[in-house]
Amino acid sequence: MFYRQAGVHHSNYKTDSALFPIPFDKWSIYTMLALGIFAPAIFGSFALTSYLLPWMIWAGAALSLNLLIGWAGQFHFGYAAVMSIGGYTAIHATLAGIPFEIALILAGLMSMVVGVIFGAAAMRVKGLYLALATLAMQFVVDWVLTHVPAIGGGASATLQAPDMTLLGFKITSEVGYYYVAFGWLLLVTLFLLNMRRTGFGRALVAVREKDYAASILGVNSFYFKSVAFAVSSFMGGVSGAILVFCFYHAVTPEQFTVNVSIQLLAMVIVGGLGSIIGSYFGAAFILLLPGALNTLVAYVSELLGLQIGIETLAHLPNLFYGILIIGFLLYEPLGLAKVYDNIRKYLMVWPFGYSKR
Amino acid sequence: MLKRVKLLLASAACALVIGQPAFAADEPIKIAGIYDLSKVYTFISPQIAQGATDYINLINSKGGVEGHPVVYTVGDHGNEPQRGIEGYEKFKREGYVLFDFLSSPVSRAVLPRAMKDGNPMLQTFVGRADAVDGDVFNWIFPMAPTYWGQAANIVKFIEDQAGGDAKGKKVAFLYLDYAFGQEPIPILKALAEKKGFDLQLFPYPLPGTDQASAWTGIRRYKPDWVVHWSFAGLHVIASKQMKRNKIPMSKFISVNWINEVDLKNIGHERAKGLKRSEPVVAGREPVIIQEILNELYAKGKGSGDVDNVGATYYNTGVAIYAIALEGMRNAIKSGASFPLTPAAVKAGMESIQGFDVHGLMPPVNLSSSNHGGDGKTRISEWDGEKWVPLTDWFVAESDLVWQEVKKHSAEYVKSGK
Repeated sequence: MFYRQAGVHHSNYKTDSALFPIPFDKWSIYTMLALGIFAPAIFGSFALTSYLLPWMIWAGAALSLNLLIGWAGQFHFGYAAVMSIGGYTAIHATLAGIPFEIALILAGLMSMVVGVIFGAAAMRVKGLYLALATLAMQFVVDWVLTHVPAIGGGASATLQAPDMTLLGFKITSEVGYYYVAFGWLLLVTLFLLNMRRTGFGRALVAVREKDYAASILGVNSFYFKSVAFAVSSFMGGVSGAILVFCFYHAVTPEQFTVNVSIQLLAMVIVGGLGSIIGSYFGAAFILLLPGALNTLVAYVSELLGLQIGIETLAHLPNLFYGILIIGFLLYEPLGLAKVYDNIRKYLMVWPFGYSKR
Repeated sequence: MLKRVKLLLASAACALVIGQPAFAADEPIKIAGIYDLSKVYTFISPQIAQGATDYINLINSKGGVEGHPVVYTVGDHGNEPQRGIEGYEKFKREGYVLFDFLSSPVSRAVLPRAMKDGNPMLQTFVGRADAVDGDVFNWIFPMAPTYWGQAANIVKFIEDQAGGDAKGKKVAFLYLDYAFGQEPIPILKALAEKKGFDLQLFPYPLPGTDQASAWTGIRRYKPDWVVHWSFAGLHVIASKQMKRNKIPMSKFISVNWINEVDLKNIGHERAKGLKRSEPVVAGREPVIIQEILNELYAKGKGSGDVDNVGATYYNTGVAIYAIALEGMRNAIKSGASFPLTPAAVKAGMESIQGFDVHGLMPPVNLSSSNHGGDGKTRISEWDGEKWVPLTDWFVAESDLVWQEVKKHSAEYVKSGK
């Protein structure tokens, strides 16, 4: 009833390759878009700054990583390093007086160059070995950030982000930061949505499924792997710069440690490999759920008047969080996107469920 | 079931009413302590929080700060900057006037916001070292010696042990190879040049469990002193390596991050002769700790395990919050209106003079340009049962330390904030 397919038929290629052929999909996307645009008016400033803004930025980063892992099938264990390169480049560039727009592009380019260098070296190996090679990138970048004062900022190890001016507007308000992050997420999402239906996207999928078979079909797998590393690193670098300028307002090596890389990987995997909406879900799950669980556990223990020590109170959410992750691995290993997909498929034929069989 | 919930709610409401009868009319002072209670800083934050909670409960039981109760909310940020920011954003909207994160990455991530919004943030022993410069970091309060200052004081101790002349002495600086461990290096290098002692650096990589090669180097170097910039379990690993390399414990001086748990793991007997730099008195002798034991723990009102009372980090927690509440007291005494504004708290903190919580620490003097105090520490030695102070509170090379502070804070200013 909801995702009604009746009356949707294609008489030319253009409608057939439309992004959202089913009207309900289209309208739900428009609703989400409207929600995103009017979020500052709908949500309070606390939700906007503490939940929506970081969620937007991390979803953008997760999407960028999903391109590499989900579409091209290349593991990356050092994605936080890619983001840190973007963040540091953007800060150094703006401090040197370069306009923010160009600094953003520079951030992307620098991440791309470093990412491709490591990616190319890693291209000799596959699977788990590639994962380890990219993990090495994380540690090399960490080392450079903490040992080269010209880049990392020396002993105090923090570089402050100067005020940013985007397209002539000085952005200093919460709403301004939100729109910058939202705009970037929109760009990334649109890019990935469209990439799926181009030859480039299909080539990536071919490489993911079996690079050997892909090259027999005439898809140069080395070329497409390199391009996937380049594009993903570029987007990761810009996401890193946005994270630093819109959310942290300062950069330290500790914001981009190996834990963050693993969190990003978890966002992609828990969300769903090769799924756009999955990256949104994954980012929300990994980023926001621990804090939300914390608040919930504190609230419940206060409500019931339980005398729980602060340490137990801090560890309980971790317990529930772990249970949730194991639960997902057990019952839906394909990620949150698959949960969404199941619901969608169910509603497609609802209330005439028998027609599926 | 419903009846039970109702009963619970009713008793909770009763508890709330009974708990604070004296302050019904007074507005509270709200402090947010959002710590890493579940990830990296767990070796210190629970004890700090316990000390802080006990001290605040003690003050509240005596009528609060100038008649105003103190609300101290403890939360967990799991060492994740975005959760620290979430906590900051939440509590700043609820009228909290002082924030404490006790984590370097989180403090560094919240600092730009605290500076922009004008909210006082405590930053004891973590985050930017140059934040003691109150002229630049108006809203940040480290209230403690910097690591630069601690290093300079340790060098002064070494010099005094050599009869006032450190020339020709060999000092091995062993450290965990990241920002925290690297921090004292410029000061040590400058002092080595000035005093004529020989300094050699021995870094070991994160996570610090592999110190073997650094210690082999130290054995060959045959130092007179080993200065160790590290924390918690890494001291235990160091002690094993010292035994293996036959370096006596008496040559070992640690930064302040070593406590009773580490000593127990090293072995109380084995740790004999170990020295550390100390910003706060450890043990149960200080008057305030006795008072907490008598007023709270003897009556079953302690906020945690009684064994922690008097431990190094517990006392540090008491000290931090004693200074903070003294700041509040100054603010109220100088006629600030309620609810307290962040600006009033800042002014109160900056007017703390000669406050030492009855000998728990060296007298703290803060001003609008100095948010770090005098930088006094002392060196104490473990005698197998307790810490024995080897020196009185002292400070050395203040000018050099402040040069370093100004150098870094100038870079902050340059970034246009």
